[in-house]
Amino acid sequence: MSEPLLKVEGVQAKYGDFIAVQSASLDVPEGKIVSLIGSNGAGKSTLMDTIAGLHKPSAGKIYFKGEDITGLPAEKIVTRGLSLVPQGSRCFIRMSVEDNLIMGSFPKNVRAKAKDSLERVYSLFPVLKEKRNDASGSLSGGQRQMVAIGRALMTNPELILFDEISLGLAPTIIKDIYATVKDINRTTGMTVVLVEQDTHRAIKTGEFCHVMLKGNVVLSGRSKELGDDEIKKAYFGI
Amino acid sequence: MENKTLASVRKPIKVLDGKVMLIVCIIIVAFLYAANIFGIFSSNTMRYLMKIFLYITMGEMWNLLSGFTGMTSLGNQTFIGLAGFTVAVATSTYNLPIWLGILIGLAIGVVVAFLLSFVLFRMRGMYFAIATWVIAEAICTAFKSWPYVNMGGGMSIKAKPYPKTPEIYLMALTLFVVAMIVVYLLLRTKTGLGLTAMRDDADAASSVGVNIFKSKLLVYVIAAGFTAIAGAIFFINKGTIYPDSGFNIDWTVSMVFIVIVGGIGTVSGPVVGAIVYVLLDEFLAHFPGWSNIILGAIAILVILFLPDGIMGTLQKKLHFEIFSQKRFSEHKKDIGKKAQLQ
Amino acid sequence: MIIIQYLINGIMLGGIYALLGVGMTMIFGIVKLTNLAHGEFVIIGAYASTLVAQALGVDPILTLIVTVPFMFLLGMGLQSGLINRVMQKGSEPALLVTFGLSIILQDAMLLLFTADARHAGAAYSSTIIKIGSISIALLDIILLAISLLSILILTWFLNKTYMGRSIRATSDDTQAASLMGVSVKKTYAIALGIAMATAAVAGLCIGLKWTFYASSGGSYLLIAFGVVVIGGMGSIPGTLVAGLIFGLAQVIGGANWGLLISYVLLIIMLAVRPQGLFSK
Repeated sequence: MSEPLLKVEGVQAKYGDFIAVQSASLDVPEGKIVSLIGSNGAGKSTLMDTIAGLHKPSAGKIYFKGEDITGLPAEKIVTRGLSLVPQGSRCFIRMSVEDNLIMGSFPKNVRAKAKDSLERVYSLFPVLKEKRNDASGSLSGGQRQMVAIGRALMTNPELILFDEISLGLAPTIIKDIYATVKDINRTTGMTVVLVEQDTHRAIKTGEFCHVMLKGNVVLSGRSKELGDDEIKKAYFGI
Repeated sequence: MENKTLASVRKPIKVLDGKVMLIVCIIIVAFLYAANIFGIFSSNTMRYLMKIFLYITMGEMWNLLSGFTGMTSLGNQTFIGLAGFTVAVATSTYNLPIWLGILIGLAIGVVVAFLLSFVLFRMRGMYFAIATWVIAEAICTAFKSWPYVNMGGGMSIKAKPYPKTPEIYLMALTLFVVAMIVVYLLLRTKTGLGLTAMRDDADAASSVGVNIFKSKLLVYVIAAGFTAIAGAIFFINKGTIYPDSGFNIDWTVSMVFIVIVGGIGTVSGPVVGAIVYVLLDEFLAHFPGWSNIILGAIAILVILFLPDGIMGTLQKKLHFEIFSQKRFSEHKKDIGKKAQLQ
Repeated sequence: MIIIQYLINGIMLGGIYALLGVGMTMIFGIVKLTNLAHGEFVIIGAYASTLVAQALGVDPILTLIVTVPFMFLLGMGLQSGLINRVMQKGSEPALLVTFGLSIILQDAMLLLFTADARHAGAAYSSTIIKIGSISIALLDIILLAISLLSILILTWFLNKTYMGRSIRATSDDTQAASLMGVSVKKTYAIALGIAMATAAVAGLCIGLKWTFYASSGGSYLLIAFGVVVIGGMGSIPGTLVAGLIFGLAQVIGGANWGLLISYVLLIIMLAVRPQGLFSK
């Protein structure tokens, strides 16, 4: 196997004295969809924030495209082609939908492509084009999630991390969004990390699967090769 | 925050408030009284000490509001100006004795604080800070157009016989001693503990049954009362008062300096801060115009590099606390943490 | 007729007050900092324009070419060198540092420029235009135009440029903004730079319209704060309306009572809708 696109080695992340991620290691191969599952409080979100540079790791190394990005601030990491869709969408609620999306092309290296990227996002999510001038705070949860995804796509990433994009959404909307994610991966070859609490959905979508428990990655492998039982055991820690 | 708490729990803290400390304090206070009675101090020394006593009182009160209760006020000069003017009006317009003037000043300070609380306690943080300042400015502006207080022309305090320096010294010393005892006792009570809890997290404090409005009101009224008396004594020493001197923001500048430099949230901090302030102020009098620039610069540097102030830093480094109520609150936090873990 | 005259005078003042408030509202809304030194920034702007105009013998308005960039850089330097560092220690220390800055600046100006009253004169300062029984000072019209134009340019900048959008995005959600490649600290520095640039323009207006002193900052700070509170944070139309309200209060009440009316208005507003005006 060739060098993975993202390599996380023994990363530890703390909030004050509280250790949220103890020692997490995982590989993300290029061009694939990788799921990261775990129960509430397993440390998935903290790990994602740490990879994206929102949180400084207290130990361990993170490599992206073979380069060490450990401890770089988020605004530097995004320009290297790694983008995070944070939990709860985190739209700029007082800004219009279009301004939110344009913010995605803020990194100088992608500004020239802003127009094309915007059209691409609008073709992926036609509803956003209809609401382009509305404040994003007035949108529904699913539409906000679309804005957040679109905004991240505008940064032209090679790797995109989705942190529980299904949280609080209706099943039909989740289905649509997941279909779109798969579509993006298939047509552009963009590598995807999907953080999920729903084991079933994670295995179905991701070719590879990592399971987190109490701040550690306890199980990794091809989704098809990992048994349902094995994953459940790892998930619940029994 | 969490880190600090844990660290201080791990290392035992010597709390210097046993009998020995009490005796030391009594000796110091007795000496300060005796020195006055036997005329040991020159009147110059007495003037310095008097200033220090008054500034300690004002600093302790500002600290009580900002350091212990989380109500950062930029308008305590309201009470200084009101009390100063009350003494002036009482003695010169109504020929009342000076002590009655001080008492009325105290009463007005307390009543005004009580009334203001209904407006101010609806605000938090910077809104509170700005509102207190705006109120002081508004009263100052109103006084400048109010014939009753001679508009902007100022008033003089008249009393026969006018109190001499040793007498004013005694007033200031007594005020300082009472203020220290009140602060010490207040922080020891349940209300005091509740206050600290409130500063750290108002919502949590209210959910464990601290009556926020009542506790805040108590502290605000106490601070207003003591600040008012300090202001009254200050202007008795000075003899005249103008709206621009009574309600000047410089009062807050001094209080902030004293507390920040001495150590915010410590009982001993303002004492050290006031001594530093009065000495520095005296020294800076040789450089007219530079005083606020240097005081401001020192305060900013302290916030940047010594955020706990002189006493706060010493206490942390040497693991001691003078007259602290913190050990109770830390104890409480510890219990809280255990409860969370279970 | 007299009512119309009052209204016109109020509008003229309102423009300047709105501009005062805009600089304050930027820092409040974006950096989440109460800048107690804003009044002094404005007075620095007033001195800068007055002195440069005197030295070069040019129209005070032309000095903006120099004072605006100068104040912008000063603001950037102040934020990145000092305030960004203090803000890591919490909002209260930051508030006290701006308070310290305000007294330092005030006394520094007193030392440098003495306690004398200053005024920036211009050729058109005393020209009055009469329409029927209503008279309008030409200077007032020019100042209103300058104020509104500045606010317009700022609005355009915030809405239509990458930099402006990044400032608004940071104000909404700092973390999400950094995920878009925005350096929050740099954005804060630019925001204070812009706030100081608006203070330069407001200072020019004040220097042209009134006499000012080294110690005038405090009262302008309170007006700026009042405009922010009454107008609502980050709302430029609100700021304009609030500016008008304060302008009218000043025109109706005269110098002293007008100030008192403004203060009382502000306190009532703070008490009735303490956080409401700022909440999203």
